[in-house]
Parts: sequence; structure tokens; C-alpha cells
Amino acid sequence: MPIYLYIDRGTFVHRLHPTVKVFALFIMFWSVYWVDNPIALLPVGLVMLWIAQLTDSWPNFYRLRWLFAILVFTTTIAWMVFYRRGAVLVNVPVFHVSRLSLVFGFGRGIKLAELLAASVLFLSTTKIEEFTYGLQRMRVPYRVSFAISLSFRLVPLFIDSAVTIVDAQRLRGYDFNQGGPIERVRRYVPVVIPVFMGALRKANNMAMALETRGFGFSHEPTTFIEYPVTGADVLAFAFLIGLGTLNFMLYWTGLGGIGPLK
Amino acid sequence: MKTFSVNTNQHAVSAQEVTFTYHGADRPALQAVTFTQNAGEMIGVMGASGAGKSTLAKCLNRIVPEFEDGDFRGAIRIAGEPLEQLRVCDVAPKVGMVFQDFESQLFSTNVAHEVAFAMEQVGMDRAEMDRRIMPALEAVGLRGFEHRDPMSLSGGEKQRLAIASVLALRPSVIVLDEPTTDLDPEGRAEVFELIKKLRAQGLSLIVIEHESEELRAADRIVVLREGQIAADGPPSEVFARTELLRECGVRPPGLGHALELLGIEAQPKSVEQAYDAIVRAYPRLATNVVSNVADPSERAMPSGPAFIGIENVSFSYAGGPRVLDSIDLKVEAGEFLAIVGQNGSGKTTLAKHIVGLLQPATGRVTIDGKNRAQMRPAETARAVAYVFQNPDHQIFAATVEDEVAFGPRNFGLPDDEIRRRCDEALEAVGLQNERQSDPFMLSKGERQRLAVASVLVLRPRMLILDEPTTGLDHREQLRMMALVRDLNRAGIAIVIITHTPWLVAEYARRVVLMRKGAKIFDGGVREFFMQDELLRSSSFRAPEITELGRRFGTLALTTGEFVAWIKERA
Repeated sequence: MPIYLYIDRGTFVHRLHPTVKVFALFIMFWSVYWVDNPIALLPVGLVMLWIAQLTDSWPNFYRLRWLFAILVFTTTIAWMVFYRRGAVLVNVPVFHVSRLSLVFGFGRGIKLAELLAASVLFLSTTKIEEFTYGLQRMRVPYRVSFAISLSFRLVPLFIDSAVTIVDAQRLRGYDFNQGGPIERVRRYVPVVIPVFMGALRKANNMAMALETRGFGFSHEPTTFIEYPVTGADVLAFAFLIGLGTLNFMLYWTGLGGIGPLK
Repeated sequence: MKTFSVNTNQHAVSAQEVTFTYHGADRPALQAVTFTQNAGEMIGVMGASGAGKSTLAKCLNRIVPEFEDGDFRGAIRIAGEPLEQLRVCDVAPKVGMVFQDFESQLFSTNVAHEVAFAMEQVGMDRAEMDRRIMPALEAVGLRGFEHRDPMSLSGGEKQRLAIASVLALRPSVIVLDEPTTDLDPEGRAEVFELIKKLRAQGLSLIVIEHESEELRAADRIVVLREGQIAADGPPSEVFARTELLRECGVRPPGLGHALELLGIEAQPKSVEQAYDAIVRAYPRLATNVVSNVADPSERAMPSGPAFIGIENVSFSYAGGPRVLDSIDLKVEAGEFLAIVGQNGSGKTTLAKHIVGLLQPATGRVTIDGKNRAQMRPAETARAVAYVFQNPDHQIFAATVEDEVAFGPRNFGLPDDEIRRRCDEALEAVGLQNERQSDPFMLSKGERQRLAVASVLVLRPRMLILDEPTTGLDHREQLRMMALVRDLNRAGIAIVIITHTPWLVAEYARRVVLMRKGAKIFDGGVREFFMQDELLRSSSFRAPEITELGRRFGTLALTTGEFVAWIKERA
């Protein structure tokens, strides 16, 4: 099973200029940030669904389906505890089950899911070299942009190693599911320590390997791949500006909030 | 094939009185090391773990002292230029370095871009990069792979890609620090074949390696012991000093050692040369070839009740191809079985089915007659224990004793029973004096033995060891395998997953060969090493001493066995 999210396809989204892709990620986050109402979150959601279809990214969404479900479900439930507004529909101890808390909680869940979806789409269509290049063009120093993009490549390796460590401790009779929530977190110590030590070792090896390949030799490394700006980039840029503006207007006019539902 | 030119007017490397002491260490890792390497020379560096091999390699590109905290003295010149005051990245165009961990030295999502990475860093223009990428890929046999994701390559291909990416900068010297340790036999063969080609082109190479057979083609062998040069000379001279090699934790080449025991003065570079030398010494052996050397009585197929029963087991990861395909296997109590096969052949997946980490899609696994699927994890853990390839995947406790006690505590055993079992397990693996030590401060070999102790403490009836000797020096390998043999003699069934032919020959009694998820051989060790076609197609080679024995008509699994056979007939 592939441990990285990048899906190599020749779609126009894949071919967009890296700076446009990084900007698209920023606009998606921006758009989601301003809006709370689940209905008002729909336009961004639809754009994402369209891009997922276009870029053949569904396998990645399928892999993360449980994460999406958990995000939406737990967020909705959690906000029914903390968001205590609106007329109670059903009496449940601890929870405040009202139309308002349901809509607010569900909206927050969808917001988180859309943030995750934007990241999944970005990683499904962007190589780490493009990520580095895009950040550099946005004036982020090379060392910083390279470190950010490399970290995305490392996360799956650490997850892979954590799975092996969980297996190793289980085989010594360790039960990760004993006790209450705090005890369960504490019980992950036998996993966290080996993962952390392994990550340190890997990061050290990687740093050595990077420097022996000349990393740091020049403040402005050259690039092997040329990324010409095309008409599609201009169109995509205009579309993203429009999407970002629309969502800010939803906030500005109050249509993006849950106020009208009160 | 593209060749790379070298400047032959200067020493490629000159090290003068190089001494380095790691911060907090009680003795120097390198002590007054002085040597030179002529341009175009290949030097093999050998020695036990901790002898200073990797430290020496890191000194050549300034990782030591730039990355490692400590006291550095002495001087190093590369192609006549001193390295003092240079950063690691400044040395990159002069010294290429290939590490053991291939995952940590690939950073790109595309093979061509990986080769370009170092050139980008030194600010080379695009046209020059374009001119250099294809020759570098061609030199390592990866032409046609330009658009592949490096993560989709096999281990051997990844390591060849790492070599291509350093070749592209056209350095004066290439240092390879145990480049094949994590590879399967096919990957090892690919990398050493490439090293031979690069050497033939006149590149200056420094290769750190544990297996002496692989370094016979070097111009010189440097053996390190406790940070000092214990031997430096042509392979024929250094490999003849078998006593010294053993003292330094280096396994002498099997062929040379066999000839030494037979009183023949020669350092053969191949099975053919060893055969000729023996025939010259004992001419009548030349005609004494026996055609069938397998002794059917030695076939190790189980005939009693199965301790582990694997019945028609198939398995695939979600959405993927079949990783196990209708496997039937029976392992008896007290057996010593080796599972071999290339990476991705299904060895580890099969082992994970036995211990219950994976559930078969079809078929079933039984342990002592019980369906494993219906056994509680505790019951399985007490019957079969699994030691992962990397001991660091389980170590977390503050002391060795706590690490070993972790398993019994999980099973709720009383304190005095836990103490008794810990004593017993630590004694068995020879770590009884380290019980209060920090596990992270132990050597790799000791951590591997600690991993064994931490499952042995559950008193399992079977132990599965995944690549138990990877990354260990010869002395540590022997110690580890002596432990495994003792456990087997005490009645514990052993299953080892390995790529190392001599380990199979010297320790196992039965072999299972896997290929593409299927079991394609299951039989005795001698019978296995007679399957020429099967071995060739699986990139698995018999130990050289076994190949030499077969030239005379016997099937010897160890040097001692071969020498005894020759002496009996000579």
C-alpha cells in the first residue's frame, strides 16, 4: 500500500504552477475560516468535490474516510456539550441538544473536514519539490520551505514505524484499550518513546545525508524543473480570488454565520 | 556505459594522525589514523562495531566534527586540498557519501530529480544538470527509470539511485558506508556489481563492509581495531591473517580459511581458484567426484504432530495483490526453520499470521492444535514470540530490567515470579550485568539480545526472529546465533527469517523458500543448497564453502565439515 498521498496524473490541476497550488491551499483555508454555517460551506465543499473528481483523488479520501467521519461526528457531539444556546429539543444529561448547537457543531465538523480535504487535495496533486518551489516563490526562505515540504514526506514514515511499534508492544501482552481516557493516553508511552527516538535518529541521518548532497552550499539553489506560467494558471488564480472574495463576503454580510438560524 | 575521469596526479585521500573523541567518551573513536588512498584505488574498511569505521568515513566529508560533538585532531586532504574550515556541504562536490539507510537519503518524488538534487544545491545551471543526469543513471543501470518515484524502487535500486545522485557531482572519492546491510541478496548483488564497474572505471572508492568475500576485489583492506589501524594491505595479505581478523571481529573469507586449515598457502579470490589450489595439493581428489551428495536421512521434513499448522492461508492488504497465496506449512515443536526469499516475497507477512498480527483472508492457522483465531492474545504470546528486525521498535523502558519485565507485568504475574523470569532471561542472553543499564546506551548487538530476552521472559515454545543479525558485526552475529542455538537445544522451536546464506547453512535444519507469496521450496538445508536453478532464480547463493564442496562432490555446510571431508579423503 502506498504510504504517500501524491497521485501521479497529468490533469490540469497537477500541471498548475506550484505557486498557484500553494495559493489555492491558502484560499481554501481562508474560505473555510470565514464561514460557520454548513450551508454556506457548501460552495467550497463543492469546489473540492469537483477537484477530487477531476484529479482522481478519491483513493486518498477513501483511505482517510474514517478520519473524516470521526472529525465530523466527534466535533458535532463535542459542541453539543459546550455550545449551550437555543431551545432544547431532547433532554440528555450533560448535552445541550438544540437545533442551534446541532447546526453549530455540525458546521464546525464540516469546517475541519474541509480543511483536511483541502490538505488531501493539495498533497494528492503536488510533489514536494513543487511545494518547496511554491513556498520559495512566496518569499519563504529555501531552508524553511524545504523543511516544511520534507516534513510532509516524513509523516507517513513515522506513522508506518508507529504501527510496527504498536504491534511489537501488543505481542508482549500490552493492552492499549485499558482504563479511562487519560489512562489510555498514558498507555501510549511505550509507543511514543520508540517513535520519538526513531524520529530523532532518522532526522539526524537525513540531515547528514542532505548536507553531504550539498544542502546549504548555496543560498539560492537552482531548479532542475522549469515551471512556466500558463493561461490555466491565470484562470485558476482569478477563480481562487473569486472564491476567497465570495467567502469573505458571506462572512461580511453575516450569511456565512449561523445568526439567521437563531 | 558512461565512464568518469579521475585526476591521477594527487592522492585521492590523505589522512594524517586523525584522532577524534566523541563528547563524553572515555576513549577516542579514532586514534592517530594515518593513511593515503591513490586516485582510482578501492579501499575496503573492516572492523567490529565501534572500531571507528563510520567515524573515519564521516571524517572524510566533515560530518565529523561538524555534526558530531567532540575533539578532532589531525589533517585530511582530498585530492590535495585540505578540509579544515570547510562545511559538510562545501565538501559535497569532492566526496560523495552513500549511507546504509537508503530511506533517509532520498528526498525527491522522481528519480531524475533525485539525481539533480545535489546539483541544484551547488547552484548548477539547468543545461549542465541535463547533461549529467542520464550518464549518472546509465552508470548505475537505472536508465529508463527517470520518471519513477524513488519510493517505488526496490532496496537495491534505491541504493543505486543514491550512488547515481553522488556520481552526478563527479566527486574525487565516493565513500560507501555499509551500503548493502539492509538489502536482500538480489539488492546486494546489484550494488556490488555496480561497485565493481565503478572501480573498473578508475573511481576512488572507500567501501565499509562486514562481509570479507565482497571486498576481495579491493586494492587494499584496512582493518580497524579500537580506533587504530590494525592491518593495511592487499586483500591476499590481510585476509591471510585469520587470527588477527577474528580478534578484530571480522569474519575471514571462508575459502581462505579452509585452505589455511588444509595447510595450503593461498588466498583464492573465487571458488575456482580455491578448487585449483586444493587439487594441486591433493591431485587424487580431482577425480573423486560423487554425483549425488544429498543424504535423504538428513531431510528435515516434519513427520510428527504440528506445533504450528498453516492451512491454505491466503492474504492481501486492502486493495492490493495477494501477498500470501495458498500457503500450507507445518512446524513441529523444537524445529529450527529458516524462511528465505527476496524482499516482498511474503516472509514477514507469513510470520505475522503465526503470531496473530494479521488474519488470513482464507485458510487458518493453528497453534498446538487450537485455532489461533480463537486464542486470546495472551495465550498466543505465551506460545509464540516474535522478535522484530529492529530492536528499537520496542525498547522504551529506563532500565534493561524494566524492559524485560514489561511483558510479564502485562500478563499480571506476581512480582517474585517476574523477578525470577527476568533473571533467567537476562542470564540466557548474557545481559545479567546490565540490568540497571539504560537500554538506549547498549550496542546494537546487546539491544538485539535484549529484544530476545524481553520475549523469552514469557517462556514461549517458539521464537520467530526477523533478520536477527542485520547490522551486527561478525562477533555479535556469532554471539546472537549461539544464543538462538542454545534456546533451540533447550527445546524452543526457532524460525528465522534471513537473507544470509551462511546463517542458513550453519544453523538451520530446514528451509522454506518464498517467492511472490507462494512457498516454492520446503525441505532440508542440504537438499536446498543443491537446487541450483531455484537458488539462481531466487538470487540466493549457497555459501562459497558449500559451492567449493560441491566441486569435489560433497555438500559441506561449514568450513569445518569441508576440511574434515577433504582430510579424510586426502
